[in-house]
Amino acid sequence: MFKKRPDFRNLLHLTIRPLLTGLFLLSLIFTAFAQTDTTATAAQGGTDAAGGAATDGAATDGATPAAGAAGIPTSDEAIAAGATVFNANCTVCHAINSQVVGPALKGVTERRPLPWLLKFIHNSQDVVKSGDSYAVNLFNKFNKTVMPPFTSLSEDQIKSVLGYIQSESNKAAAPAQAAAGDGTATDGQQAGGGGAAVGGISSQYFTIILVGLIIVLVLILLVLILIISVMSRFLNQRTDLDEEDRESINRTTNYRKIVTSTPFIGIIIFIFLSIAVKVGLDGLYSIGVQQGYMPKQPIAYSHELHAGKYEIPCQYCHTGVMKSKSANIPSANICMNCHQQIKTESPEIQKIYAAIDFNPETQTYGNNKKPIQWVRVHNLPDLVYFNHAQHVKVGGLECQTCHGPIQEMPVVYQYSKLTMGWCINCHRETQVNAKGNAYYDKLLELHEASNPNEPMTVASIGGLECSKCHY
Amino acid sequence: MINKHYLYILSSAVILLSGCEAQGDYPGLEYAPQMYHSVPYEPLTQITDREDGEWLSSLDDNVGEFYNSNPNNAYAMNVRIPAANTIRRNTDRYSAGGHFETNPELVLPYNIPADSLDYASRVLKNPLAATEDVVGQGQVLYATFCYPCHGGNGLGDGPVGKVYKGVPAFNAGRYKEMTEGHIFHVITYGQGRMNPYASQVSIEDRWKIVEYVQTLQNQ
Repeated sequence: MFKKRPDFRNLLHLTIRPLLTGLFLLSLIFTAFAQTDTTATAAQGGTDAAGGAATDGAATDGATPAAGAAGIPTSDEAIAAGATVFNANCTVCHAINSQVVGPALKGVTERRPLPWLLKFIHNSQDVVKSGDSYAVNLFNKFNKTVMPPFTSLSEDQIKSVLGYIQSESNKAAAPAQAAAGDGTATDGQQAGGGGAAVGGISSQYFTIILVGLIIVLVLILLVLILIISVMSRFLNQRTDLDEEDRESINRTTNYRKIVTSTPFIGIIIFIFLSIAVKVGLDGLYSIGVQQGYMPKQPIAYSHELHAGKYEIPCQYCHTGVMKSKSANIPSANICMNCHQQIKTESPEIQKIYAAIDFNPETQTYGNNKKPIQWVRVHNLPDLVYFNHAQHVKVGGLECQTCHGPIQEMPVVYQYSKLTMGWCINCHRETQVNAKGNAYYDKLLELHEASNPNEPMTVASIGGLECSKCHY
Repeated sequence: MINKHYLYILSSAVILLSGCEAQGDYPGLEYAPQMYHSVPYEPLTQITDREDGEWLSSLDDNVGEFYNSNPNNAYAMNVRIPAANTIRRNTDRYSAGGHFETNPELVLPYNIPADSLDYASRVLKNPLAATEDVVGQGQVLYATFCYPCHGGNGLGDGPVGKVYKGVPAFNAGRYKEMTEGHIFHVITYGQGRMNPYASQVSIEDRWKIVEYVQTLQNQ
């Protein structure tokens, strides 16, 4: 017996060693990748910072030569003062690089002479009425939108604003020349894109690592099988083994015997029956329950984006929720509050435009309007009465209590069961907030007279009466 | 043999029942569908197929049990826009004098036309007093309808406003001097990139928001 022991120990060593080396190699690979990842991002950060510094330098350099000619102040104080006035009065309608309500102001100090600018900013309508052809063209081009007069601003203030616009224009021009396609991110969006790309690459590496891991494990398995067959062949060749050891080496499993044995069949039937009964009962209970219903809507509207990322309150669109039985599906004019300007090119937004016959280029509406046919998600049977205002305004419930994490749903689905048991359960557990609501004073008095130790729940003021919900 | 039959019946029942569950575009099997579908016109519901549910219809009206749309309306919709210049019910208030009364300024339609911003800013006065209660309600309404663009403190830095661009700060420049009439008029008709909010916010609620915005102007 003692003689053979080392053989088995060898076997043990043979299996453990490749495993350990494999693990060690894997950990090495992981740490290596982690390091390259951090160095990559650090490097990116470095170039970004360098780029930013470079553009700043170029801007201040560029501003000085273009300055003196027009009589627009270029001192840092004047520009700072101009920035304050600009942000307080102009940003509503103007941006430097993009057209907002009025035209983009980049390079406006080169396009128009200073006296004209002063007059126009002071009172634009006077210039338009005087018949100045440039002003009239501008006025017509922007759908006769009136730029309000800024009579409260002094000439110096307007000049400082122009100084600010000029310095910003040069700043915006500088990186365009300097960038030369090296991807130095100047605005936030581009930088964000770069970051996402880095994340994408590392996740790609992870799949490669995972595949590598699986290959290594399969190889280990093959090696182990090989070792076992070699070992058993080697042991079979030996003559000094007794009957017991020989049996243990050549032992095979009789699967047929196991499968046909009564306990095995019993267990299988038991498992099958339990699953069948469970699925059957679940199926029975799901009749008339629309939990999980997630219909495709005619326009792919995402609550995750609007209510989640942009934090638009539910009541902004579902205006009826505080006032009426239904929360209401918003009409298209509420979409247009933003989407008259935002994402006008998106095919989904184009569907809204088609429904309300809106032309984004001319910003005009036609007469061929038709309703958008949204698909109703939540539908209580007609035999039950439910009122949103009662629950949200008086009861102070959050929308999420019944509708689930709507702000995380790209496509809305029915979160709750909306069964009678579900309603009743909530009525039993929810305490009535009677504070500051004189309607409940008498009820509270009566409740405390009869049940002084229990909190006043919805159930205790008649929330379980049949006729509360069924009519 | 009997055992086998039971097994077949059980498995087919299980397969059939597991199809009742709602998922994706399928709303699930309805139990007693007559009770799900309203006979009177139901707002936010529209079933235009006249045959739908005919198989269990017990009425002799030649339309299916589920048919629910109003043929007298445009597109057979069940929802209607209220007639122009009408006043909805329950607009009266219980006053301190012990009787119900209506403040016409909070109820009657707003008649100053959209292009008369100057006139509105000079003439319009807030019918509500700036009590703590009114300002508080205004703050709640502001958080619902204005916060996404104008931001919590009215600095134009709301989560949508940052993307939308061109949102002013209430406490700077000429926005600090906006009169209450000006603010009311702009909420009603929109201005610049801001669209009208008259359909979302009632006249009374607009005046409450005005009260709150005025506190933001003076911060």
